[in-house]
Amino acid sequence: MRPTLRTTVAAAALVAASASLAQAEIKIGVLYPIAGNGAVYGTPAMHGHNMGVDEVNAAGGILGQKVVSFARDTKLKPAAAAAAAKELITKEGVDVLIGGLSSAVGLAISEVARQEGIVYIATIPKTIQMTTTKLHKHVFRTSSHTDFEGDAIGQIVNKLGKNKVCDIQLDYAYGHDLAAGIEKGLAKHAPNAKKVIDLRSKLGATDYNAQITQILGSGCDVVTSVLWGSHFVNFAQQAKPFGLFDKVTYISGGEIASHEIAGKMGKDYPDNVISNTYELWYDHSFPGHEKFQADLAKRSGKKETAMWPVLSYTGVKFIAAAAAKSGSMDADKLAAALEGLTIDTPVGERTIDPKTHQANTGQFWGPMVKKDGVDYRVMNPVTFYPATLD
Amino acid sequence: MDMLLSSPTFAFIQVLNSISLGMNLFIIAAGLSLIFGVLRVINFAHGVFYMFGAYIMYTVAQDLELGFVTGVIAAAAGLAVIAIVVERGLFQWLYDKEHLMQLLLTFAIVLIMGDLAKIIWGTDQLSVSYPDGLSGAVDLGVTFYPAYRMMLAVIGPVIFIGLFLLIERTRWGRLTRAATQDMEMLAALGVNVPVIYVTIFLIGSALAGVGGALAAPINSPTPGMDATIIVECFVIVIIGGLGSLWGTFVGALIYGFVFNFGSVIVPNWQDVFAFLLLMVVLLIRPWGLFGKPEREGH
Repeated sequence: MRPTLRTTVAAAALVAASASLAQAEIKIGVLYPIAGNGAVYGTPAMHGHNMGVDEVNAAGGILGQKVVSFARDTKLKPAAAAAAAKELITKEGVDVLIGGLSSAVGLAISEVARQEGIVYIATIPKTIQMTTTKLHKHVFRTSSHTDFEGDAIGQIVNKLGKNKVCDIQLDYAYGHDLAAGIEKGLAKHAPNAKKVIDLRSKLGATDYNAQITQILGSGCDVVTSVLWGSHFVNFAQQAKPFGLFDKVTYISGGEIASHEIAGKMGKDYPDNVISNTYELWYDHSFPGHEKFQADLAKRSGKKETAMWPVLSYTGVKFIAAAAAKSGSMDADKLAAALEGLTIDTPVGERTIDPKTHQANTGQFWGPMVKKDGVDYRVMNPVTFYPATLD
Repeated sequence: MDMLLSSPTFAFIQVLNSISLGMNLFIIAAGLSLIFGVLRVINFAHGVFYMFGAYIMYTVAQDLELGFVTGVIAAAAGLAVIAIVVERGLFQWLYDKEHLMQLLLTFAIVLIMGDLAKIIWGTDQLSVSYPDGLSGAVDLGVTFYPAYRMMLAVIGPVIFIGLFLLIERTRWGRLTRAATQDMEMLAALGVNVPVIYVTIFLIGSALAGVGGALAAPINSPTPGMDATIIVECFVIVIIGGLGSLWGTFVGALIYGFVFNFGSVIVPNWQDVFAFLLLMVVLLIRPWGLFGKPEREGH
């Protein structure tokens, strides 16, 4: 009866497996644009998320239970994100929601979280509304927001000593909110600066000649903007032959200093650009960054890692820390634990404000300059602007 | 707005902006219009053909560093191959079916090729450098203007004249025009109609490829760029008249002026005017400025 032993072992293994299946798990609902046109951000965001979850599990999970992620594609659409969030809560029974990319998507998920009474950690959306007019008990934001971004721009304009400002923004929630943030930042830090011209471009615009020539005609010496991603690539390529970057300093939010933009644009990246990013793979100003970056490089298969992972990674770490503090995954207890919670991240310490539910997430700002030996631009000097408004 | 009135140079630059934008769009829209004019197919996939042109330019000129002109030729050749496969493999079976089926088929191609592009080129926004010698500006006396934009403004009319001569002044062009009138009669007279069809589809698609390749230095190749361009092309050909070369040329210029001056005068409404014009045309003259009313039947 030799085979019996084997059968018994197999049966035991099966029992063990099903027992571990039956064991309770901590379920995280993850919402990023995984496929489609948003995958350019969603894919690296998922890298960071999975890395965070793996680290938490390696350290024993949350409350002794294994963390499992249920990822859904938001398709960059608020309606799709809201439907996915609902499905995650009702069908999968997730304990907490995390993610969101684009301000509109973030607000849509936040609304579902409010109705369903479940904690939502917004890791990427920046609209100020999320933590002001649309704030509720269960929403928390670990990314930066448009007032922080505008405040940093105000400080930079002041440091440059320039005072004729052209503002060009994309015509949607983020662009409008950042325009307001810049207004406040300028009023506070650079009271002598005067807005010469306000320009608007639609989201997804491909032709900027009308705006470029208006900037040139208006005689401003600094341009503030939030043309992110391919908007910036198109604008820069079209503005260079006009000599725009020789005549003005271009200060931009929207993380165009991140390596995903600088690396792809290579030698086409224009002069006189000062911009921001959440993280730089080559800057180890904060303890723990070097290891984080090395692990991420291994995971994503390239040395020069993207900026988005640190945001999704930080979101996971906040959930783990909050659960450890409250000793429960109950939404109200988790929310209470998140208020005032401080954690260490690869880009500095983060604390969630108990009143606004906003983390003090600062950003790196600096001029993008050429560097010997590489064909892409790097930020130098790198200055960290902490997120403090008052 | 003030600048338009106070500075003639500024107004002149806006005119140049309008022309160069219109001419870049004309190259692409001409292909769409040509294909509709002969094959009676409304090709939604024209936008992804354009996107493939831009991506091919990136691979050839930026990645492999084989030069800009090679990039344009490769884009045209690549799209010619795709066109032959699509026309012979798919479209030819649908000519006598209803328009809706053709439309759905072209939409399926949009989705398949869109995902294919993501698999081949990834999802990042890519950047293509200007060709040597065209990265700067030319001195026009009163102002400087980007050399590359000037080149686009010249290539558009050259393609227009070339197409015009081909269709209006050659025997082959006469056969093509005859095919649009009565394909069965033409076939009965011994003309190889399928060859005409595939050639027209090939030329039209290659124009989309060339348009995409030429746009690559100013429009970053990126997923989703097909959606923007196809809408612009439809606005142009509907205003000008589907199937009319003259109509497309004038429609592209009108679009360029309306979009550009709209952006300067009422920045928050830049898109509205082109679509307003589209609505007026559809209500008053649904066949477009230069088109002909569609006859019943095929």
